[in-house]
Amino acid sequence: MLRSVKGVICQGPKLDSGYFLHASARAWLSAAVNQDAQIPAEKPRAVFRTNESNPANHAEQHEGQHYSIPLQEVKVVFPHGLPYRFQMQMKTFNESCLMVRKPALELLGYLKSTNLAHPAIRYVIYGEKGTGKTMTLCHAIHYCAKQDWLVLHIPDAHVWVKNCRELMQSSYNKERFDQPLEASTWLKNFKTSNDHFLKEIKTQQTYMWSKRESTEKGRPLGEVVEQGLTRVKNASDAVGVVLKELKQQCPLGAFRLLVAVDGINALWGQTTLRKKDKSAVSPEELTLVHNLRKMVVNDWNGGAIVTTLSQTGSLFKPRSAYLPHELLGKEGFDTLDPFIPIRVSNYSQREFESCYQYYLDRKWLQHDRARTEEGRKELLFLSNSNPWQLERISAYL
Amino acid sequence: MAAAVRRVLRASRGWSAALRAPEAPRAQTLRLICTTTAVQKRNIAASGPEKYTEAFIKNQIEEFNLGKRHLANMMGEDPETFTQEDVDKAIAYLFPSGLFEKRARPIMKHPTEIFPKQRAIQWGEDHRPFHFLFYTGKQSFYSLMHDIYGKLLDIQKYQDHLRGQGLLAENRKQINLIGSRWLIKEELEEMLVEKLSDHDYSMCIQLLERLVTLPCCGIEEEYVLKFRKELAIQLKKVVIEPLQYDDQGVAFSTGEGKRKTSRASAVVYDNGSGKITVNGVDYLCYFPVMQDREQLMFPFQFLDRLGKHDMVCTVSGGGRSSQAGAIRLASARALCSFITENEVEFMRQAGLLTADPRIRERKKPGQEGARRKFTWKKR
Repeated sequence: MLRSVKGVICQGPKLDSGYFLHASARAWLSAAVNQDAQIPAEKPRAVFRTNESNPANHAEQHEGQHYSIPLQEVKVVFPHGLPYRFQMQMKTFNESCLMVRKPALELLGYLKSTNLAHPAIRYVIYGEKGTGKTMTLCHAIHYCAKQDWLVLHIPDAHVWVKNCRELMQSSYNKERFDQPLEASTWLKNFKTSNDHFLKEIKTQQTYMWSKRESTEKGRPLGEVVEQGLTRVKNASDAVGVVLKELKQQCPLGAFRLLVAVDGINALWGQTTLRKKDKSAVSPEELTLVHNLRKMVVNDWNGGAIVTTLSQTGSLFKPRSAYLPHELLGKEGFDTLDPFIPIRVSNYSQREFESCYQYYLDRKWLQHDRARTEEGRKELLFLSNSNPWQLERISAYL
Repeated sequence: MAAAVRRVLRASRGWSAALRAPEAPRAQTLRLICTTTAVQKRNIAASGPEKYTEAFIKNQIEEFNLGKRHLANMMGEDPETFTQEDVDKAIAYLFPSGLFEKRARPIMKHPTEIFPKQRAIQWGEDHRPFHFLFYTGKQSFYSLMHDIYGKLLDIQKYQDHLRGQGLLAENRKQINLIGSRWLIKEELEEMLVEKLSDHDYSMCIQLLERLVTLPCCGIEEEYVLKFRKELAIQLKKVVIEPLQYDDQGVAFSTGEGKRKTSRASAVVYDNGSGKITVNGVDYLCYFPVMQDREQLMFPFQFLDRLGKHDMVCTVSGGGRSSQAGAIRLASARALCSFITENEVEFMRQAGLLTADPRIRERKKPGQEGARRKFTWKKR
């Protein structure tokens, strides 16, 4: 019943999509105040913003609106993982605002209703280039972090399969290769985001790093991470240990685990790395990839796996490919199957309007013509409501 | 004395005749008698302008007419009704040429069109010039000014006459100058067979303008129109197709466009939302470069119809920039059906409806590219 009431109230602004703001801004502002059911601060907040900063409370009425994350939280929750351009925007605007969009709301709905006893469900966010897949993932991560889940966030799996300067033979398994630099970077960021968990979770077996160094059973996981950071040679193995421990302990129910991987198609694609004899390295010969693949399989319960496909960083894939079966390949698709696909597309009229107003408000669009109606139509046409394109164009103005 | 003068004259005439027919011995002996160096000099100057004599030109004309009749016979046409167009066609048929430059192909035209107009010798046997203004240096020009001024005075006299009779008000005859322009300097030079300076030309035109402002200049209309050239009327070749309606009743219109080697055809639908599909792909994916999308946007933005039409187009050939240009032309042509005549005119003036004629320039032998020459080495 509440939903239908909300739906009725929502009818008004959705009528003339795109033009309602210009027609009756004041009326809409007052309506927005009533709708939000929250008394705004001294000055009325604009229509494209919402005060609700907890993703748990985001609902359909917030669709198209921006919510801001305090910068302190951003440093903790997203040490890595936000797109580079978004980070630059954060620095410029001195605030980080995410738009609430339908795919994210859908995903949050599923996450809210996860049954922790069942095996972890895999969600694959896909869509064309620049439509907001990574941002949707970040929204989900923020929600989980607020809900006190353990977030295992791999910002870009493609980084692990290309441009590696040091490729060492793994000490654990002669056939595999280690990537110390990438592993240590990841461990550092992982520590920043999940510090409190690392103290609580204990190892369940002893790990021998070398003749003299080892981690006993029952030591906090933080020690393993420290070991990986100090002895960079063992970093990849440390990562493997962390993943294994988390997977083993999550079904016990002490914590809920979210595995968030951006660009999961890297795990089953090709690499640009070469062995000493110039033959190509396949992804399963990399320790990090091998361990991550085990993580993504749904033989554990007590959490969820959210992944994105990404063509941008992918290797040997055409630019027009965006569907799961194109980017994952047969092997990847079979491994991930069954999964819940979540499609992200370009901005709708309302979302575009919201983004446009946000840029205007932040004085990002400096050109005089950008403020006019024709300028808005021009932006709409040139970007075709693609978020990435719109952001790039606005940067020039 | 007179006999000596006559002998001198005969010598000079004979000398110039000797240039053409060296076998006349009588002329030679005559020349030796008198001092002819000055005469020689003047004769050289005289023969300068006249490269083709009148007799020569007449000869050429007779040959041309005979040749025309022969040609008509060859082609099986009637020699009496053989026009210049038929001559051109026959020559193009008998002498096919693959040369790109039209002026280098074989032609058969009337000698007056081929040989440049030139001045006949301006003085007579007694070396006195025919024209009274010869010694001004620009005799034709000054005589023309003199004539025009004479006509002006005539018109004024006529006006006074009418004014005296009191009939001036009714008898105003003006020359209709609409649709024509004054001859340009080059055309006037061609008419007078004489070089003019810019100042001279402007003087002439001012005088003509002054003549035209008089109320009764209609009496000299024929003379003045000799100096006017008709402006080519711009043929409105643009035929605007009417709108077509598809199954759902949505109006649509098609247009074709080309640029360099690209060919595009666009279908513009009414009641749309600004969606554009190129070769089955969204235009954002097909044209990642913003410049191309701006080209697509141009016709719609110009008519202020950005979010109102949908478009489906196909394009082939060329590169990304030329494909964008071809689609732009096609969409502009398709949009003509949706808009008023005035807007079509605005589009035409903005250059949206004109096909870009530029094509790739051919590479020439002896050069590395169309314009680039090989590296010049001093030694």
